[in-house]
Amino acid sequence: MKVRKFRPTNRLTAMIKERGGIMAKDAIAAAEAGVESLRESSMAALDEALAEIERRFGKDAPERASELYESLYVLGSRIIDVSAFVSDAGIDKAAVSLCTLVDSCEGSGNWRWDAIDVHIDALRLLRAHGALLPADQREAMLQGLYQVSNYRPDEA
Amino acid sequence: MSDALLPSTRINLERATVLVLDDNGPSLDILSQVVSGFGVKQLFRAESVADAQTLVRTKTFDLIISDVQMPTTDGIEFIQWLRREGGESNRYIPVILVTGHTRTSQIFKVRDAGANFMVAKPITPKVLLERIFWVAREDRAFIECDTYVGPDRRFKHEGPPPGTDGRRKDDLPAEVGEAQTPNMSDDEIANLMRPAKVQI
Repeated sequence: MKVRKFRPTNRLTAMIKERGGIMAKDAIAAAEAGVESLRESSMAALDEALAEIERRFGKDAPERASELYESLYVLGSRIIDVSAFVSDAGIDKAAVSLCTLVDSCEGSGNWRWDAIDVHIDALRLLRAHGALLPADQREAMLQGLYQVSNYRPDEA
Repeated sequence: MSDALLPSTRINLERATVLVLDDNGPSLDILSQVVSGFGVKQLFRAESVADAQTLVRTKTFDLIISDVQMPTTDGIEFIQWLRREGGESNRYIPVILVTGHTRTSQIFKVRDAGANFMVAKPITPKVLLERIFWVAREDRAFIECDTYVGPDRRFKHEGPPPGTDGRRKDDLPAEVGEAQTPNMSDDEIANLMRPAKVQI
């Protein structure tokens, strides 16, 4: 097999060093301020995704067994996407655990509804009270989810 | 430029042309706001790989930030296309993939996609700026062969796996061979480190 190894020009290398510009701390502050303006719409998107998960995959959803694994995976991913605003509530971690669980269900070809239900309950609880929970209780809840989903944060 | 991104490090992204790609609108909004906050003036948004490919065919970019999980065509396939068919002005540009979760079946595909870096969602400005700074500074060789096109994945240079000879001309075996010359004496070693006056 023919392998070509070379060093193409990286235009960004010269650009980022050009005179002017801003300090990194100011760039980060400006970005954080810009993102803050999206808090409301992001929380609405998170709540929408959570509501859809409950409606289509909750205990009372009559057709949930016929749903696609992909659908729940995408909804879990949407929660992760906007969860920086509520990372102190642990929702991002619970949603990553849910995605791991759904990926595992897809791999085995079987839904694990007890495990899915636990994750949906946890997401709902964390959304409502996650930031108010004592850190050790929140962490214990997340560790419980990881045991159910076999998610290993250290290997992620 | 220092190795680490310090709060006082100056960065200039005003002339950089950046493409951000994410099929989830709220996520694309966050990514766009973050990149704009870094001072990027030429920012292009795409909500599908098809839109991104159209932009790549008509513009020259300096950086691409792309989501991984997308319907129909995902970020992995997009980067593979970019590295092979993205045109000479865009094929070798730095690419940062962002993802909230990587499926077990996609771990190797992500590794082999040809991206420069992977960043976990949810995105935070500090982490993303550190990664942009990193890809702007890196001096990694580019590899092009039948099965892979992208930055050299072996950038730690730890040599080939033990017990193998490696596949490259500059690979050295991990095992140390027999000494070819006598050991140095203590005096010889001490002399190597002895302070000496120099003429300036």
